[in-house]
Amino acid sequence: MLRVRGLAVGYGGEPVVEGLDLEIRTGEFTSLIGPSGSGKTSILRVVTGLLQPLRGTVELKVAPGDVGFLFQDDALLPWRTVRQNVALGLRIRDLPPAVVDDKTEHWLTVLGLDGFGDRYPGQLSGGQRKRTAIAQVLALEPRLLLMDEPFAALDAIVRTRLSQELLAWVERDHLTVLLVTHDLDEAISASDVVCVLGHGPRATIRARHIVEIPRPRDVLGARRHPAFGPLLQRLWDDLAVELSPAQVAP
Amino acid sequence: MTWRHAPSLRRGLALLLLLALWESVSRLGWLDPFYAPPPSAVGQVIFELVAEGELWPHLGATTLAAFAGLLVGLGLGIVLGFAAALSPLLAELLEPVMILLNAIPRVILAPLFVIWLGIGLASKLALATILVAVLIFFAVYNGIKEVDRRLVERVRTLGGDRRVLIREVYVPSVTAWVLGNFKVAVGFAFTGAVVGEFVASSRGLGYLLQFAQSTYNAALTIALIVIIMAFVLVLFALAERLERRLLSWRYL
Repeated sequence: MLRVRGLAVGYGGEPVVEGLDLEIRTGEFTSLIGPSGSGKTSILRVVTGLLQPLRGTVELKVAPGDVGFLFQDDALLPWRTVRQNVALGLRIRDLPPAVVDDKTEHWLTVLGLDGFGDRYPGQLSGGQRKRTAIAQVLALEPRLLLMDEPFAALDAIVRTRLSQELLAWVERDHLTVLLVTHDLDEAISASDVVCVLGHGPRATIRARHIVEIPRPRDVLGARRHPAFGPLLQRLWDDLAVELSPAQVAP
Repeated sequence: MTWRHAPSLRRGLALLLLLALWESVSRLGWLDPFYAPPPSAVGQVIFELVAEGELWPHLGATTLAAFAGLLVGLGLGIVLGFAAALSPLLAELLEPVMILLNAIPRVILAPLFVIWLGIGLASKLALATILVAVLIFFAVYNGIKEVDRRLVERVRTLGGDRRVLIREVYVPSVTAWVLGNFKVAVGFAFTGAVVGEFVASSRGLGYLLQFAQSTYNAALTIALIVIIMAFVLVLFALAERLERRLLSWRYL
């Protein structure tokens, strides 16, 4: 689905990411974890075309229009209602108005936003804004979903509920996902593969772990699975090395 | 509702108290009515100006100049602002001129406009226009340049091209900036018209003010100041209603 080869990303000066290879198979849920400043967000931005890499190639097996990007913040168009925001991507695709309306209503319902369609983003809670942003992306029925710490700004309860819902849709539609996150629990409970990014500059992938927890899962149940604890420990060990470069073995 | 909870009531009371104090001090002979005529004398002048109908043609002339200047200034500011934001070459040429015009008190151009355009409507319109146009130019120019990058990226990842970006992001963003400056623009337009009349004219509130000053008529001067203030406050209220209507998403 997605193959990244020899990627280097930088903003002038030393590259943040260098020599990064990453392959995501169709239907696979991959998480990318790593210390702050390791270039996790930059990698997603390159895949969506928002950022030009210094070197390297990105191969996508789907059209750019089939890639959905869920951003970390929930910036919606403040001058458009929830309904208009959700419909935005559909309208951009020039679908017939009736189809746009149908799909918009469907996704409003799926995300639990019934009755909020005529509100403006300024009238919503953080969780509702995030739900609107998710509906906006899912309404386009992407085949590859990129997520940049989508729930970082939410409180624990909303966060758990939303990640559970999102996981259910991903499993149902067999979406291919690349999730960037700080949250190791979230990474393990949702993913098939967890990749650990080293510290920058010149960060690259240092470890790749398979999550041996059967699907379908629920995010809380997955945390009680016997494979969860040992993998969490391994990820901590990987990151402990990455967080203090002085400890890297000679 | 008690008076503690009504600031407008308290302010009104304070104003009445001040006027009463002024009136009594005048009546006691502690203030020279030549310099500071009591509120009752000012009220008398306002009443006469209104009752005898002398005020209306002057108010009309000033309002016409101000509104025409507001419209032309808005149009000019929006067009130049968009042009500068979209064309780096135009921005290079326009920006220093606009920064200079923004830095100086633009009313110093009034005598020049009188020489060029005469003492009629045109010179007042020109002054009101340039006061408004520079303000709106920066509102539009900055509105486009400082548009929320996150929104631009969002629309791009949803597949939006330049046309979609202009419609969904830039135009609404600029509208918000322009309307945010709309009240100030109304005030500027009125300033331009009155100052233009003050410099040289044969009618308008500025002309009356100039006349009152040259005849040392303090009561008429204060009366005109009060009238202009009241009129501008009404315009501000209208401008605010328009702003709230067009930017309803912001006032929820």
